[in-house]
Amino acid sequence: MTSTLSETPRTPDAHDRVLGTLPMAVHVRLPGMLHATVVRSPAAHGQLRGIDATAARAVPGVVAVLTAADLDGAVPVFGEATADQPVLADGRVRYAGEPVALVVAEDEFAASEAAAAVELDVQVLPHITDAHRALDPDAPLVHPAAGTNVLRTWTLRHGDAEAALARAEKVYDDVYESPPASHVPMEPHVAVAAWEDDELQVWTSTQSPHAVRETLAAAFALPAERVRVHALNVGGAYGSKVVTTIEPLAALAARHVGRPVRLRLDRAEVFHTLSKHAARVRIRTGVRGDGRIVARVIDVVWNAGAYATNSESAAGYGMVRAPGPYDVPNVAVTSTAVYTHTVPSGPFRGAMTSQLCWAYESQMDDIAADLGIDPVRLRELNLLRDGGVYPTGEVMHDLHYDEVLSGLQSELESIDVAPVQPGHARGRGVALMIKSTLTPSRSECRLRVAADGTYELFTASVEIGQGAHATLRDLAAAELGVAPDRVVVRHPDTACAPYDSMTASSRTTFAMGSAVRDAARQARRRLDDGKQPPFEVTGTWGSTGGLGSLDEHGQGTASTHWHQGGVAVEVDVDLETGRITVVRAAGACYTGRTVSPIRVAHQNEGGMIFALGPALFEELVYRDGQITNPNLSDYSLPSFRDVPRMRSAAVEAPGADVHGAGEMTVPPMAPAIGNAIRAACGVRLRRLPMHPERVLRAIIERDEERSE
Amino acid sequence: MIVDDIRQPTSLRAAGQLLDELGDDGRVVAGGTAVILMIRQRLLSTSTLVSLARVTDARYRGIDAREAHLRIGGGERLADVAAHPAVRRLLPALGTACASVGNVRIRNRATIAGNVAEADYSSDPPAVLVALDAQVDVTGPDGDRRIPASELFLGYYETALQDSEVIAGFEVPLLPSGVGTAYVRYTSRASEDRPCVGVAAVLGVTPGGRIEHIRVAVGAVADTPRMLPAVLADATGRPASPEVFADVANAYAQQLDPLDDERGSAWYRTRMIEVHVRRALAEAHRRAAR
Repeated sequence: MTSTLSETPRTPDAHDRVLGTLPMAVHVRLPGMLHATVVRSPAAHGQLRGIDATAARAVPGVVAVLTAADLDGAVPVFGEATADQPVLADGRVRYAGEPVALVVAEDEFAASEAAAAVELDVQVLPHITDAHRALDPDAPLVHPAAGTNVLRTWTLRHGDAEAALARAEKVYDDVYESPPASHVPMEPHVAVAAWEDDELQVWTSTQSPHAVRETLAAAFALPAERVRVHALNVGGAYGSKVVTTIEPLAALAARHVGRPVRLRLDRAEVFHTLSKHAARVRIRTGVRGDGRIVARVIDVVWNAGAYATNSESAAGYGMVRAPGPYDVPNVAVTSTAVYTHTVPSGPFRGAMTSQLCWAYESQMDDIAADLGIDPVRLRELNLLRDGGVYPTGEVMHDLHYDEVLSGLQSELESIDVAPVQPGHARGRGVALMIKSTLTPSRSECRLRVAADGTYELFTASVEIGQGAHATLRDLAAAELGVAPDRVVVRHPDTACAPYDSMTASSRTTFAMGSAVRDAARQARRRLDDGKQPPFEVTGTWGSTGGLGSLDEHGQGTASTHWHQGGVAVEVDVDLETGRITVVRAAGACYTGRTVSPIRVAHQNEGGMIFALGPALFEELVYRDGQITNPNLSDYSLPSFRDVPRMRSAAVEAPGADVHGAGEMTVPPMAPAIGNAIRAACGVRLRRLPMHPERVLRAIIERDEERSE
Repeated sequence: MIVDDIRQPTSLRAAGQLLDELGDDGRVVAGGTAVILMIRQRLLSTSTLVSLARVTDARYRGIDAREAHLRIGGGERLADVAAHPAVRRLLPALGTACASVGNVRIRNRATIAGNVAEADYSSDPPAVLVALDAQVDVTGPDGDRRIPASELFLGYYETALQDSEVIAGFEVPLLPSGVGTAYVRYTSRASEDRPCVGVAAVLGVTPGGRIEHIRVAVGAVADTPRMLPAVLADATGRPASPEVFADVANAYAQQLDPLDDERGSAWYRTRMIEVHVRRALAEAHRRAAR
């Protein structure tokens, strides 16, 4: 069943969000609060020999300049699985932009003026920014103690992929590359930290209040209950605020000066804080003459940056998501995260999926063209359907790719476009994706039933503009049998809102939604039993399995359920310039049961707009170890004038569970555009972004080949 | 603090005197879209800003068509220049260029004098003013002078303006009927990106269809807008045809030595110069024919 979404009611906070009047962490001010600015390493790799802060300390308004050498005891370190990131560089600097000192002052201007006056003596060492080259035996080591730049390798073996590849009638062997990119949230990273005795409170722009709390507790050797994290509305994140980034810096500064300290990054600093994982994917696919895929071998190298962050588990998620939504009996995946002297990599909307979907969905159309089969038909021939076996060995159910495909085609068709101009070519492309969700994970909430018939929901799920709180409110209200305006959703405060893994991985509607429904059902039952308010209930949801439970061949239950999505586009190619214009686009996903049609449409459309950037324009450029474009003039984001006419579809199934919809159109956007370019003018691009210069070169090469 | 003081003189003369007195401690600011950004990024430092926001001189304000030229006050905002009926009717290429800078928020603050004085190699209005043979009306402590737009731009962010001189306005010659103008802006990335190439073309055609008047300036490919008089002289008298436009475009592509950045390599820009000089001349020709 496909439901078409076209109405446009408002999102509850849209008005305040546009006006900038919605309370956010960037607005938090505490009495006696000071401001911190970070002094950053100019070198990609080096030994910090000395820091001269004499001039900085003399700037009026400066309260303190803090370096690793000024700390009592060891420098706190933080990270997810591996805590290898020092809050301030201690001797060794491992990327250009790494924090080496903090300046704390009465105002931001004094702090930044003083930060510019701090003199660093850095002995520059050889650096490596390319992950593939970091694997060379003679490459400089990012963490010499590890003896290798490999952070973690995951392998999946299902059937005998190499043997099946050797027997296949046709083998396609290609390399697809994605460069590092930046999330560019409108609200920069910002954190305010305050200590009272041995208790730390932090207000931060985060997607994961409890994860930040755990990380801070570990870094500062505190029991978790002595750390309290508050989050307000977040002004954009896209994954950049899933992991802990600047909170330890604010906490360290506040502890040092004994007053609350606020740290707000400027735009250039945001570019130097967290990146999308650059990836190089080699994909070999064995196919029968009739189009059936018999084997797939994927080797992916992820650029983790200078510190582990979440790259160990991320590479595992990448392994699981690599094969694509197809029924392939023999699959081998090797997924390796590699340290380099670059900004640490972390989650990026469509994480560890976009880079792979770019490879498998682009290659799919090359196979189709080579075999003379329609690209949609080739997908239909190979799609995973209920009862099929995924390369993790899981028997799949609740799969709806056929409906996604047909929905995409009819939605695209229904958009009117202007006729093609002379000198231009048009083509259409489609792409599908499969994404596991964070597994295992846990969501809990507290629901307070008041005597006046209202309800208060305490959740650590974060409102980022995606409408999470509206969705949770709607789910609670439906279960309680009351109007949604009877339910108030509070912003996260780890002292009041119980545990939640994170607001990411398109999990909130399903995971926290399940916890909220559990709480609401309990409340309803107690009310029905005659219990008198006020009282409170706790709702819980949890999943087991996941990465840690897979065997050494990557076999097991990888995901609670599987996210399914796709995109179809039509592009216009200016044959003289190579410039690509997406003229119409349709995005579809499987929602199981849609909570809010408009919010699903917003996610599908927003995902396509977001993904236009890395597909066509965005690339974080490194030269001599430095990012050359850490600003919004040289790093090009899509503008509204680049947004095509769009439509969205949500596939539902009777009795199905609710699925999140946050990322489903992000990974397929780039390959759909690449496939449309191929359909328009016969050229295949294998490196993002699809800059017109690359398109034009490919067109010229095609013409030269044809004339030979 | 970023700056210590902001002064707001009410006349160009007073502004010039202030700048003269302040010397290196003063910096003129109009809309602020460039200066404030540069100060915040520490590319520029000054203790006092001399704002032209309250300047009331008639020559600094307003747009009006005179007998032989269009007068544009330097304090006019880009959005207002772009929307002005006289600009749209008489010099549409200038309107297009002013409507292309940054985004609507920038254009609602930035002034045309500020844009030109910044001499940003990748901004849109400079190439058009050069192609239109505009005169820049400049005032300073030593009095007034006029500088042809083609002589104003000396290098990256560098102009022929002396310290304490400010741009009061522009005089743009009006074109006889049968002359068309065009500005073709090409962005290789997002539509609101700065241009990879911007081409301004002015084309006058005889009743017999021959080129009588031709000026082509290419922006965003080098430190200053580039015009090739010898190429233009060669084209004069030839038929206003796609073949001749292609010849001019090829000559520009061959003779200019473009820069190399994220918006396009030198190889790519050379090709884009050829394509867009051709397209700009074709567009100017269509307008000339009307």
